[in-house]
Amino acid sequence: MYIDPHIHVSSRTTDDYEAMRKAGIVAIIEPAFWLGQPRTKVGSFQDYFNSLVGWERFRASQFGIKHYCTIGLNSKEANSEALAEEVMDLLPLYVGKEGVVAVGEIGYDDQTKAEDKYYRLQLELAKEVNLPVMIHTPHRDKKRGTIKSMEVSREHGLDPSMVVVDHNNEETVKEVLDRGFWAAFTIYPHTKMGSERMVEIVRKYGAERIIVDSAADWGISDPLAVPKTAKLMKDQGISEEDIHLVCYQNALTAYGQSGQMNENDWLNPEPVDQRKKLSGNTILRGGQHPKIEGDTSIKGVEN
Amino acid sequence: MKYQVNSSEATAFLRKIIEERVDEKGLEWINLQETTLRDNFQLRSFYLTFSTAPRFIKKNSLSFTKEERIRAEKLRRGFQPQHWDLLQCVRTYFLVMLPGDEEENFIKNITRLFETADLDEQVAMYGALPLLTFPTALITRTREGLRTNITDVFDAIVLDNPYPADFLGQDAWNQMLLKAVFMQRPLYRIYNADERVNPELAKMLVDFAHERWAASRDVLPELWRFIAPYLEDGYFSDIKKVVKGKPLEKQAGLLACNMSAKPEAQQLLNKYPEVKEDIGSGRLNWETIGKENETKQKV
Repeated sequence: MYIDPHIHVSSRTTDDYEAMRKAGIVAIIEPAFWLGQPRTKVGSFQDYFNSLVGWERFRASQFGIKHYCTIGLNSKEANSEALAEEVMDLLPLYVGKEGVVAVGEIGYDDQTKAEDKYYRLQLELAKEVNLPVMIHTPHRDKKRGTIKSMEVSREHGLDPSMVVVDHNNEETVKEVLDRGFWAAFTIYPHTKMGSERMVEIVRKYGAERIIVDSAADWGISDPLAVPKTAKLMKDQGISEEDIHLVCYQNALTAYGQSGQMNENDWLNPEPVDQRKKLSGNTILRGGQHPKIEGDTSIKGVEN
Repeated sequence: MKYQVNSSEATAFLRKIIEERVDEKGLEWINLQETTLRDNFQLRSFYLTFSTAPRFIKKNSLSFTKEERIRAEKLRRGFQPQHWDLLQCVRTYFLVMLPGDEEENFIKNITRLFETADLDEQVAMYGALPLLTFPTALITRTREGLRTNITDVFDAIVLDNPYPADFLGQDAWNQMLLKAVFMQRPLYRIYNADERVNPELAKMLVDFAHERWAASRDVLPELWRFIAPYLEDGYFSDIKKVVKGKPLEKQAGLLACNMSAKPEAQQLLNKYPEVKEDIGSGRLNWETIGKENETKQKV
């Protein structure tokens, strides 16, 4: 059983979902981020957030995967200030919703003044609704940006145990762990971290507060990065217990602090009523059969 | 039209249902929210109450007593909250509190809520349609909801809900029914469906059945319920074909014959005395067919 606590499944295909389920992924977290190009209207954000708490949640459920999300204004789009203001007004409508496990991914991109402003405002929002925070650390000037993210979150009174710092590498990990934050690693072949390097990090730092994710999105990335890394760890002699921590349990402990993510959600799904038992595979066209266990009714879909 | 239901009666009804089922902590939370909303109604706190409800209220099924069902029906004809869970009931309780004195404001607020709703929130909101003020102003929203591909949301509007039969125009009604057939929903749970049959719908459904047959696919047996009043219009040959089909189809075809005044239909039914007897005794009806088909889909 694996959890991928950072994956943008909205950009992925049903083949990916099927492969993920087959590889043992039971739950995922889809953080709100940008879409590869900037949005120009607040309505686009609203529809995107709706999709995270509605349609994508439903789509994942069709493949037996429990979908959670984080809600936030990402650092890139924070730079469009007029729009950012409108998005900030929208956030309170979403952060309290069921299955929203954190405010995120927020933080710095170019480390501008506007980014700083909205990062801080969102840290306050997270505190107000008692949610963990998922921090996106910058690609450029990474080490400084990472340290700054952590310092600012301390300044706003957040407990490091409520903050996951994502996209770490060999250069940032020590600073993050020493300060008591969760350190997440994105296995994203070309730009972030590779599986082999990940094995070495777990060997060196142990499994405490370390989290592995794929951040698979619209770019060249791998939705099976978590199970593949787990396998490589196993082959290279990392203990089962440590693999379980970094590929499942730590993410659950960190984001479970939201009260919105519970192992029972996938281990013992709540008893479903008549209607829900029949609720169907509308991803499937008429006549197609679902390949997963569970819901077996055949449904049609309109596109 | 402004009211479908007396809102203080609706509040009292839901309150009693909730009080008898919710735990102490949940009730405490409800009371606190209610006081805040009644003393000083703020949209932002209303939206937060509505969205954070699952943190305090469980999704237990309501399992109504017979007496509660009767009270629901008395409150509003066709109102069937026995199919809801407790969380949905609590959300509806708050929805009824949304100020509904002035149409423009009410529609603006509820539209905002609809537009930002997650899956379960949408289910609760569409399920609450028979209780909301300004029902005719909600037709456009309902039609938008029917465009969903999410079965639970579709079901919340279509099944066990008297709103569509009461308020949708014929085009919207026909599209809804056709989509329910397409999505293989249990048609017997569509409220007052027999009263809304029309020749246009029968034509659409028969065309759909022909498409399914052309693709060698099964046709939902319950479909023939809505063809039965129009067997004179050249659909009798279809019924003859249905009667030759699988057991459930055969039963459906013969039930359609039973509903028809057409002499040939009666003659066909007479060829199957045992089925005719089951129909006469009430052992076989559209509900039994619908339920049996649901069981079949689940296997």
